[in-house]
Amino acid sequence: MKVLEANKIGELAAALSAAGWRVLLPIEDGKVVRLAPWSPGAAVRTDVVPVNSIKDALFPPSEVIGRFGLDGGDFTVQEAPVDTAKTAALCVRPCDAASVSLLDTIFNWDFPDAFYNARRSAVTIVSLVCASADEQCFCTSVGGRPDGTAGADAVLRPAEAGAKLILEPLTDKGRALADAAGALLSEATVTADEPAEVPQKFDRPAVTKWLAANFNSPLWQKWSLACLGCGACAFTCPTCHCFDIQDETTRSQCVRYRNWDTCALALFTQHAGGHNPRIDQAARRRQRLMHKLSYIPERFGLVGCSGCGRCQRVCPAGLGIVEICQAIEDIQKVPAR
Amino acid sequence: MNVTESIRADAARLLTEGRAKMVIGYGLRNGRSVPVFLTEPQGADSLHYGPQCTLNLAAYLARPEVRRNAPLAIVAPPATLRSLVVLAAESQVPDGSVLALAVGPQEYHGVVDVAAAAEIVRKHYASPEVDPDLAARARELAAMTPAQRSAFWREQFAKCTRCYACRAACPGCYCRRCVAETNMPQWVSTAARGHGNYAWHILRAFHQAGRCVLCGACEAACPQGIPLMLLNLSTAQEVQEQFGAKPGLDPAAKPVMGSFRPEDKDDFIR
Repeated sequence: MKVLEANKIGELAAALSAAGWRVLLPIEDGKVVRLAPWSPGAAVRTDVVPVNSIKDALFPPSEVIGRFGLDGGDFTVQEAPVDTAKTAALCVRPCDAASVSLLDTIFNWDFPDAFYNARRSAVTIVSLVCASADEQCFCTSVGGRPDGTAGADAVLRPAEAGAKLILEPLTDKGRALADAAGALLSEATVTADEPAEVPQKFDRPAVTKWLAANFNSPLWQKWSLACLGCGACAFTCPTCHCFDIQDETTRSQCVRYRNWDTCALALFTQHAGGHNPRIDQAARRRQRLMHKLSYIPERFGLVGCSGCGRCQRVCPAGLGIVEICQAIEDIQKVPAR
Repeated sequence: MNVTESIRADAARLLTEGRAKMVIGYGLRNGRSVPVFLTEPQGADSLHYGPQCTLNLAAYLARPEVRRNAPLAIVAPPATLRSLVVLAAESQVPDGSVLALAVGPQEYHGVVDVAAAAEIVRKHYASPEVDPDLAARARELAAMTPAQRSAFWREQFAKCTRCYACRAACPGCYCRRCVAETNMPQWVSTAARGHGNYAWHILRAFHQAGRCVLCGACEAACPQGIPLMLLNLSTAQEVQEQFGAKPGLDPAAKPVMGSFRPEDKDDFIR
């Protein structure tokens, strides 16, 4: 097996950079750790879940999807080039890699999204098996595992108490990256460390079943009073994929943007005529849960949440998916009278 | 009785006597401080108070789902008391609709109306406590050239994804339609990049000038770690220097940026 010394992640990044790759790694940035372009001297941190996920490299917060305008009397349309620099995303959390499988499905379901697909084909995802998890992690409740390989092109498995990393290519992209790493990898036989333990926090199929039957439950009001109606959960979520199209115009030119949007914001469903079908925050919070754990399972047979726990870590009001799912489970435990 | 026990007793009493139909306080879930919305006195034991209670609960006063439970009572540390006074000064808290369970760092001041909340603030908490590190960083920023300062903020604002958690967590941001989201005309680019992010954050800071109570809720809410308090503190210091204004002391105060005094020291506006 191919083995990398764990303290040589920076050297691997340097080698890949020299070979023409753009390298993304979880890097310390002030108070947060962010999956960001690596440069020499960057402080790589694999011990915490970064605030953003690999999704940002495939579907950025804002992107230009077209330009058009009037030149003289003629209407002109310009294509918007997509940044397809060959990218290696290293030390991606297994939950985030798994999210990409879902994004692939969503962005190719009824219409192949050219922007997403162009970025996607340029990215090689190398996940890192979790050596530690925090109290917000819940991948095992939504079908994932701290050593899961879904969505990854290659996986790094810590060995010898984290001193070494076994690089296991899973796809052609992963094999190409292993070849590029070249001399940094040595042939050795080591045993992978036990991955982090992530206790299961709720029974996902039971929650999905309850959701399908309880769109009109009065509990949504109770569960949503604390929701402040911001997009912190959605804008750090590795699977949230909703967007808004905005045209920004000057006198004769227009730039068409695709920006992240979220059901948590009242404006998301506001009609031009003034009506808003999601009348209150309860309807908005319900939508987020329903979409992830009822509609996506029903439509695609997948789960719209990978259990990364970011929504809970970032929510100013301490809300999250687990807390509602556990409440749903508690209701079901109450014997019918 | 300690502070938590006092809050529980008063919350239960207010609900029993009907002086409040809902008490907004802090509870604990898995060791984390979370907001609690109490409508029955029996639930008062779920209330807790401690240093981890940093969310400014006055942010909920603008929400229709909460307002319809008026009269309300709210657990209020000094910054939240200041927010209540600012909201009252801006006619956002109808008379008698909100009571505060006023708490200090060590003590419990009891149940007060807005006028009495202002008195407590003037007597005990007239100057917000400013973290010495934050004050030092604000001084460093003030010593920069405008170009350096602009470059610093450009780098910070580049991290913004426009989730608007800062806005949602702020009691002072209660506009029904934020100017950042109007599109006829569009004042601020909604794309989470360069000039749109810069415009949004400067606009937010200017709208908070003379109104920000320095509670820190916006920075605590920001997932991206943008040092918003540095911007708020710099703006607050400027307002105090230029206009002698300290928000949150007087429910009859006129808003600094929304009023004019004939004796204003600048003459360009006359």
